[in-house]
Amino acid sequence: MTRPSPFSVRGRRALMVMRDEREIAIMRRQLNRLGMTILEHDPAEVPPDETVDVVVMDADTIPIKSDLAAAWKTGAPIIALIGTETPSRLKWLLDLQPASFLIKPLRSAGLYTALVVAFDAAQRRVDEAAHIERLEDRIRSRRVVFAAVLKIMRGHGLAEADAFTLIRQTAMRHRTTIEQLSADIIAVGGMPNRTTRTA
Amino acid sequence: MIAVQLPGLLMKKPSIPLGLVFSQSGPYAMMAGEMRKSALMAVDEINESDAFDFVFAPHLRDPGGVVAGYHTACADLIREVQVDHIVGCYTSASRKQVIPIVERTERLLWHPARYEGFESSDNVIYVGAAPNQHVVPLVRHMLDHISGDVFCIGSNYIWTWEMNRVIREIVTSAGGRILAERLLELGETAVDHIVKEIIERKPPVVFNTLVGESSYAFMRALHAAATRADLSIPMLSCSLCEPELKLIGSAASVGCVTSSAYFESIDGPENRAFVARWKARHGRDSDPCVDGLSTYVCVMLLARAIRRAGSADVAAVRRAAANHRYDSPQGPIWVDPDNNHCFLTPRLARSVPGCQFKIFWEADAPERPDPYLLNLDLTAIGTGTQKSNDAMTKRSNHLRVVK
Repeated sequence: MTRPSPFSVRGRRALMVMRDEREIAIMRRQLNRLGMTILEHDPAEVPPDETVDVVVMDADTIPIKSDLAAAWKTGAPIIALIGTETPSRLKWLLDLQPASFLIKPLRSAGLYTALVVAFDAAQRRVDEAAHIERLEDRIRSRRVVFAAVLKIMRGHGLAEADAFTLIRQTAMRHRTTIEQLSADIIAVGGMPNRTTRTA
Repeated sequence: MIAVQLPGLLMKKPSIPLGLVFSQSGPYAMMAGEMRKSALMAVDEINESDAFDFVFAPHLRDPGGVVAGYHTACADLIREVQVDHIVGCYTSASRKQVIPIVERTERLLWHPARYEGFESSDNVIYVGAAPNQHVVPLVRHMLDHISGDVFCIGSNYIWTWEMNRVIREIVTSAGGRILAERLLELGETAVDHIVKEIIERKPPVVFNTLVGESSYAFMRALHAAATRADLSIPMLSCSLCEPELKLIGSAASVGCVTSSAYFESIDGPENRAFVARWKARHGRDSDPCVDGLSTYVCVMLLARAIRRAGSADVAAVRRAAANHRYDSPQGPIWVDPDNNHCFLTPRLARSVPGCQFKIFWEADAPERPDPYLLNLDLTAIGTGTQKSNDAMTKRSNHLRVVK
């Protein structure tokens, strides 16, 4: 799957969650110029089900202590429009994990940068989540690897380091992961009798 | 500016247009009305004074309490009337509407109201108190003399959110607890459920950051319920003022410990003379309040800066206002050029019968404004270094000494 470049914004869908008419007009004009599809949503309403690529949200329009804030937490990257810089407001904003932000009042400049940073941050977040999931898989299978090492130590009369080396080298030969081979070792009660050399 | 000498005794002074932006309708029309009255009183005093060789021509605008109306009003004042200086705005939302246009057109907004801080524009002179000058002294007093366990109630908007954050930060660092944080929508007067909760839980102290009608309704209801239950629960406020005490009613308004840079009861020749002038102008039953006085001070600071600069030019006035001391009714005040906020004297008072405040503490000297609370030393608060005689007995056991 080829990833869209964060610089390519044309055709992406933006959801505007804003109230100030003057700023809405500026935002609409700039998003149109960038060839994006615009959806608009009242800040007082619960988030819509629509799938969008980015949410442009006027942070000052949503009360800090409200269920609405939590409802926005999942989903598309958020570009926060900031007027009030008090720590109470900023803490609320941090909980939303905005991908980028713009300071109000809006100008014609700045939106493209905010979009690119948001799309890039969102892609990095997806990549990192996948990376972390892989690492967590490996942590979860550590018990299996340890059990396989013990089995090989006993079966082949090897020290721990040598048993692990044998498993690693066999896994490389079989073009599989240490975790998968370890699972096989547990399943068959010893080193699987695979002669297929694919290398 | 050169005054033109006319034949005879009459001397015609040059006129400087001055924008005044206050809402005469909407949720805070009462306070804005006091501010408008005070601005016009200051303008008349300047215009009648021999000490100034110019007069102000006031141009009033009424945004009607609508946030977007402030931008429109100021745009009109700047483009059509060509004012360099605007005095006005009460809420932070309205000020933030005006800042872009005064910054873009290089004008000055003189902002009278205390606010929650975390802002510093080159094109605003902040004459109201910064958070280190209002909420911090009050929380310090609470920790030292009342309790570290506090029940917070406020209006659901930026002022309360930020006040509660500051209270929580100071209180928890001193080992106290926020017992509750209850919010009411702006203008909401259905307060019975919260009053009931307070009577049931009997917190050692209630911190009230409600504004307007919500606050009046809450104070009346709590007073009635506490009287029935034979309870006395101290209340704290950063915004209560004399005209509000009257609206609440003489019985229910008594006993609220309030932090403010101005009370009508300040003893000093400048304030006594000011109150006398106020009553001569507005009637014996009328009382000045902190936001009104602060608006008066805005106009006076501006007039004195124009006189010192010899021009109404914004850059020259900003330079002339910096560190230029004015002995105002609220005491000496001057603009700190580091952040355009003012050095002023924080005070604590207790509301007493007769809808007045009795001041029991004031800072030794005007305090440097700290809008970002950069110098808030949490380790120095709540250590009980300034206890009154009864402080030890009243002090909560939950407080630990932080050294």
